[in-house]
This record gives sequence, structure tokens and C-alpha cells, in this order.
Amino acid sequence: MVWRFLLAILLGGVCYLDRTAACQLMLHRPLVVATLMGAVFGNMAAGTQVGVVLELIYLARLPVGASIPPDDTGAAVFGGSAAAVASSSIGLDAGSFTALLLLSVIVAEVGKAADRAVRKVNVRIARITAESVDRGDIQAVEHGLLAGITLFLVSGMVLSLAFSMAGVAVSKELLPQFGPASRGNFAILLPALPLLGAASVYSCSRTERTAAVFFLTMAAVFGGTVLFRWSA
Amino acid sequence: MTTPALSKRSRNAVWIRQFLLQGCWNYEGMQNVGFAYAILPALRDFYANRPEEAMKAVKRHLEFFNTQPAMGALILGAAVRLEERVAAGEADPRAIGTFKVGLMGSLGAIGDSFFWGALRPMASVAGALLALLHPLLGIAAMLLLYNGVHLSVRRRGFAAGMEGQEAVVGWLKRAALNVRTDDRKLMAAILAGAYAGVFTGRLFVQGQSAAYALASLLLAAAAVHLFVVLFRKAVSPSEILSFLLFVGVLILWG
Repeated sequence: MVWRFLLAILLGGVCYLDRTAACQLMLHRPLVVATLMGAVFGNMAAGTQVGVVLELIYLARLPVGASIPPDDTGAAVFGGSAAAVASSSIGLDAGSFTALLLLSVIVAEVGKAADRAVRKVNVRIARITAESVDRGDIQAVEHGLLAGITLFLVSGMVLSLAFSMAGVAVSKELLPQFGPASRGNFAILLPALPLLGAASVYSCSRTERTAAVFFLTMAAVFGGTVLFRWSA
Repeated sequence: MTTPALSKRSRNAVWIRQFLLQGCWNYEGMQNVGFAYAILPALRDFYANRPEEAMKAVKRHLEFFNTQPAMGALILGAAVRLEERVAAGEADPRAIGTFKVGLMGSLGAIGDSFFWGALRPMASVAGALLALLHPLLGIAAMLLLYNGVHLSVRRRGFAAGMEGQEAVVGWLKRAALNVRTDDRKLMAAILAGAYAGVFTGRLFVQGQSAAYALASLLLAAAAVHLFVVLFRKAVSPSEILSFLLFVGVLILWG
């Protein structure tokens, strides 16, 4: 298990860097992160199932200006690792799946608080950089940036370790405390989650043209899916 | 005054360094350290053997700066070209600050709307749908859809900026990001509708009753509408999830 956590720290660190400090190539998106964590902890498909739902839920919160959206990367680290471990122990039933997705909101808020703290420390780094430049040391800009990136990386690695450990602990210790019947009751909330994701995208993309298009497509695809299931 | 030209190596270094624009993002200067870091190789070329002026130039770029990261490439390219003129004594150094401040807000708004409000949702929902077929297919689709446009805007924007301020305006007109934003929002809405339809069909419908299926569809559409209304009233997805978690705990206790 130790090497799995080490791998989670490395991959999580890279994904967290992509989130703010470097590149923004979308390697930090929940679909990517949860799939990676699923693969690291033994079940890629289980990680992807969580990633598919988490991917859309937080899209409604845009990283504009100084506003920091919830940490969906952290939610995916937690959800992906937890889903993979649960699938090999109690089985990833609908109730466990729902519970993991809902518990990830706590992780997303903790990650957001950590992100805010890192950016506050960066204020100090930026000030020191400016003071050094005032003294004629222009290379301080490179040192300042390196310090900022290192801080983002280290914070990402620590969060990845904490959230993947939390995911494994929840799947190994918390979920088995509830019987299959209790977990089954929890699954009643599951249909709300993909709809919340779809609403999140729809609210981002809302224009005069899109409302009718969204609901017509939803009805058409729903009809197709239902007919396919009935005929199968 | 003759200014040393920008070497190809420095130009490439500036291009690469733009990807670290947010490397030291902070609440005071926001992307200021990242911008100064990105433009530093060019400043070293322009102010070679003039350390005092190099220091002043770096300080200029440590002023507050914040824009959408991909659109920053355009401002960065244009700032390099302006610095070259300032170093040659052809332009007032204050013009650089005015130019950056004038452009960062408007380009930030255009970029936020295009990248965060249209392109990313479209790529995300396309990836999520295709991931139902195979995880790697979904991831590849999402990364290609997003980065194909993202990297192209960075490359073309930087090149346009390097040609000068007039080229920036020309490129922005040609890029027509407002039209492309609307197109991608429409595509995102179609794909999100498909996503909602697939999951509603899979999760709601249990038996083979047409009336039950229709009721499920209407209930799901009403739920989506309710969530959108809540978002409009500044209720965040986290708050909705927290409420659902609370309901789940009540169900477990009951």
C-alpha cells in the first residue's frame, strides 16, 4: 500500500500544479484525477465512475479574479481512491457511490481553504521578491517564482496524501459500518448528483438559444436510452 | 539609441515561461511575479549592460497584474515589443503599464467567458460522456478538445502580440472569441442535455411503464431547473451537496 500512496502523492502533486501554478492543461480535472487515483488504488473504472460525476458538479464556480472555487481536484483524489478501494472490499454499490460523492464536498472545502492559505503565503514571497529587486537583484524574480511553485507543489502533495488516506480510510473503516440495506437507502439521493452536474454546465452555458436546446436534447436522449433498455 | 535585438533563445524562453504566469499567484499582486518572470529573458536582452534600467523594467512588471492565463500570452507578447521600443528610447516607459492595465481587464473578461464559461464546460461534458464508453477515450477527448484551442490561442496570441499593438487588435477581431464563445456554449448545452438524458434514463426508469418514464423525465427536468435557479440565487454546488449529505445522514439515522 505504501507505494500506492507514494504514487498518489507524485501524480496528485503534478495535477495540483496544473490547477493553478503551471500550464492549466486540464490535467487537474476530476475526470483525469479520479481515473488516475482509481488506477493507483487498483480499479481505474471505479475511479472513472466517480470522476464522470464530479467533473461537472463544480463547473458552475469559475476561477475568476480572486475567487477560489472548491477544490474539485482534491475531491477527485478522495473519491477516486475511495471508490477503487471500496470496489475491492465491500463492492461499489449505489449507496457507497453516493456516500463517497457527497463526502467529497468536505474534502473540496478543505482543499479550498488550503489553496487560500498558500496564496496568502505567496503575498509574503512576492513582497520579498519586490524588495530584492529594489536592491538591484533582478534574479530574485526567478527565485520568487520558484518558491511560489514549490509551495503549490508541496501543498498539492500533502493534500494528495491526506485526501487519498482519507478515501482509503472511509472505504475500509466507515462504509463497512453500515449494512447493505442502510447503504441502499442512501442511494435514493444518487439521481440528483448527475443532474446537479448537468445543471452546472447548463448554468455556465445559458444563453437565449441554449434553454430549449438543452431540454430537447435531454428528452431525446432520455427517450433513446429508455427505448434501448426496454428492447434489451 | 540602438537596442540589442531579442534573440530567438530569449523569445522561446518567454514563450515557455508564460505557462508559469500563475506560479506565484498571490492576493496582492496576483500574477505580478509570474509576469515579471516570463518577460525577464527579453529584458535581459534589451537592457544588457544597463543594470539600473533593467531593474526599473523588472519593477514595472512587478506591478499588479491579473488576467485569464491563456489571454496573458497576448499581453506578454505585446509587452515584449513595447519594452523593446522603450529600451530604444522610442516610447515612454509609462505606456507599458497603461497598456497592460487597459488590456488585462477586458481580455480577462473575454478569456474567462470563453475558456471557463464555454470551452471548459464543453470539453468536460464531452469527456464525461465518452468516459462512459472507455475512461481513456473520455480523458483523451477532453484534453484534446480543450488544449487544441487553448494552446492555439496562446501561440497565435503571443505571435500577434509580438507584432505590435495594432496586430493585437487585428488578431482579436479575427479570432472572434465572442462568436466562438456562443457556439461552444450551445455545444455544451447540447452535450449537457445528452448527459442528463443518459443518466436520467439509466437511474430513474425501473419498469416498462411509459407513464412512469414520462414522469421521471419531467421530475429530472424540474430538478435541473431548480438547481439552475439556485445557482442564479448564488447558492453554490457545495451548499447543495452539503444539504444532500445532511439529508443522507438523516436517512441513515431514520
